[in-house]
Amino acid sequence: MTKKSIYYRLLTSTIFVFIISFGVNNQANADTIKVGVSMPLTGNFAVPGTKHLEGYKTCVDVINRSGGWLDREVELVVNDNRSDTETAISQYERFINVDKVDLTFGTFSSKLTFPISPILAKYNSIHPIPSGGALRIFSQGHKNLFYFQASAAEYVGSNMVGLLNELVASEDKPTRAALVHADDFFANSIATGLLGNEVRMPGSGDLVEDMAPGYIASAGMEVVYHEQWPEEGFSDWLVLANSIKRSKADLVIALMASPEEASQFARALKIVKHNPKHLILSQGTQAEFLEALGDSAEGIIIMSAYHADAPYKGLLGGNQMNNSDFVAEYHINNGKLPDEDVAITYALCQGIDQAVRATGSLDNQKLMDWLHARTPEDPVQTVLGNFSWDERGLPLDKSFLMVQWQNDRLEFVYPTNEFQAQDIISPKPEW
Amino acid sequence: MIYILQIIILGLCLGLVYALMATGLTLIFGVMRIVNLAHPIFILCGAYVAYWLFVLYGLDPILAIPIAAIVCGVLGAIVYKLVFEKDAGSQKYSEMTVLLTFGTAMILDGTLSFFFKNTQRVTSPSYATDAFFIGDIFLPTAQLYSGLVSLSLIVALALFLKFSTLGVAIRATSLSRVNAELVGINVKFVCLFSFILGCALAGCAGSLVSFVFSFFPAKHFEWIAVLMSLVVLGGMGSILGAVTAAILLSVLASLVGTFLAPSWSTMVFFLALFVILLIRPQGMFGKYLS
Repeated sequence: MTKKSIYYRLLTSTIFVFIISFGVNNQANADTIKVGVSMPLTGNFAVPGTKHLEGYKTCVDVINRSGGWLDREVELVVNDNRSDTETAISQYERFINVDKVDLTFGTFSSKLTFPISPILAKYNSIHPIPSGGALRIFSQGHKNLFYFQASAAEYVGSNMVGLLNELVASEDKPTRAALVHADDFFANSIATGLLGNEVRMPGSGDLVEDMAPGYIASAGMEVVYHEQWPEEGFSDWLVLANSIKRSKADLVIALMASPEEASQFARALKIVKHNPKHLILSQGTQAEFLEALGDSAEGIIIMSAYHADAPYKGLLGGNQMNNSDFVAEYHINNGKLPDEDVAITYALCQGIDQAVRATGSLDNQKLMDWLHARTPEDPVQTVLGNFSWDERGLPLDKSFLMVQWQNDRLEFVYPTNEFQAQDIISPKPEW
Repeated sequence: MIYILQIIILGLCLGLVYALMATGLTLIFGVMRIVNLAHPIFILCGAYVAYWLFVLYGLDPILAIPIAAIVCGVLGAIVYKLVFEKDAGSQKYSEMTVLLTFGTAMILDGTLSFFFKNTQRVTSPSYATDAFFIGDIFLPTAQLYSGLVSLSLIVALALFLKFSTLGVAIRATSLSRVNAELVGINVKFVCLFSFILGCALAGCAGSLVSFVFSFFPAKHFEWIAVLMSLVVLGGMGSILGAVTAAILLSVLASLVGTFLAPSWSTMVFFLALFVILLIRPQGMFGKYLS
């Protein structure tokens, strides 16, 4: 190695170390309140994970514009967990033990939330959950959980059949149900409730709840086809749709964790020309779903935690931040309407913001105590509505919204007592 | 019987698309011994080209194939020059390329995510969700068109490799790099050209995939496992092998998905990979590597 080469390498190394040190010093600003977020930004959950992060960032921007928390700026420490459970676990460990964050926000999906919940419980760190509704998550006895959606996944079926019972004319009521779903923690949980199976803890096998007889059976319908597809790498959508067609099901319920699968599935049903009276999906509220389906989205019913027209009163940064304000602000900044994947994390961040302001503290125990003390009369107020929780961390008196694509718009249709509902299109128009 | 025929047709159509996706991968390995884990991300690049041409200019994704091929070919040339060329003679080249191509895939994944966001996309020409019905049998037009175009491109590639001078040089290089050099073939150019050709094929496949599957930047993780199983089953470096394996496994997966359970259908690809590695590691049409 020549002298010149050695000098060259020394010089570049010095510059590199200087740049790194500068970056580290910038990060280690003692005045900043750090919030750890591990989110699936790549891998299978990249699409909803990215939107979830967008919700957090939008909310934190508003908080910082309002003066931050306790007169300090709030900074998100974001890690990409690549949709991988082990990575998510190690990142939350790192947030607490290495990054020394003040708070952590939850991640996307039951699959990732279930394994990280014992970690955050171990450190008595507050665990606000945006997406992770499987009942088993809330049956581990942890006291640090706060779920920011409607209800546990196992109970979602009540709204699906409630809609069919209350809104659909008797001649359009289905009798033969096909239930298909991804082999995913969340989708399996909804299916458990619909089919009336037992909910058991993974590992110990302890019974959590017996869902018998199941929402489908209790609505007087017969399950004529039930199948799962693998969580990753499934591409035989036409074969699956063709099997459903052969079953002659007049109600198709398809449960999935990703919007991508929702559009693939609906397109396949259209290709094989199977026309059930009703098609209910667990995903598909996103603009991308409409883009993939076009006019064919008409009449498809989807469960959702959020609707842009909901007149919910919310707070953020010490100011009013109603759903309509959120929609307007998001539209100005992004040129489009927010979908539920953005709104859910925004609502979670609103909830924690209210807790920090009310307690004047970042002490995790104080924040948990304050959130546990919320009641339906004195709730946390967010763009997803009001929240108060039971001892497990499940919201009280909340249910999923059922929405339907009508004329390229997502219209709220059920439960009708929630806010002004549109008339349902029934049966679903033929493809 | 008609039902079984229907399942076979669906598997066949899907298999032809997979065949085109795997062809470029096996070509690159055959000539350069590069295990190109970045191949699916090149397919995605082609899909994005087709998607944006459709959205911005209304260009049909099948007509966008040449543009997607050129874009991916140029991208392939840049990647080859930057990443692979200087180590081409190295003893551990194949092993090195696994990491190099994985790194390339991650960089391209990040680049696509940065520009196009982690948003699912799918091209929606009118035939994308349509089907021909012949009695009780239906032929999904998207799969049918993409299958026929794939078949045409694979046949064109086979003719090019068999009858053109450059094609003969590519085949000679894939048989023995040293002997090809001895008979005066410009191996360096052949390698560059083959890599570009492989990436251009990925671009073609991407155009077709853009209306068959929805996609987003991280989708390549799903595809690499399937494509590798096809290439290994067919025999690494064998185009005929990749095509045969793609059709065989897709039909088998469709049958398994129907008569056993959909959750078993993806298992077919990996089960085939295990079995072939145990009983015939060189694959159906492959040769032992010295």
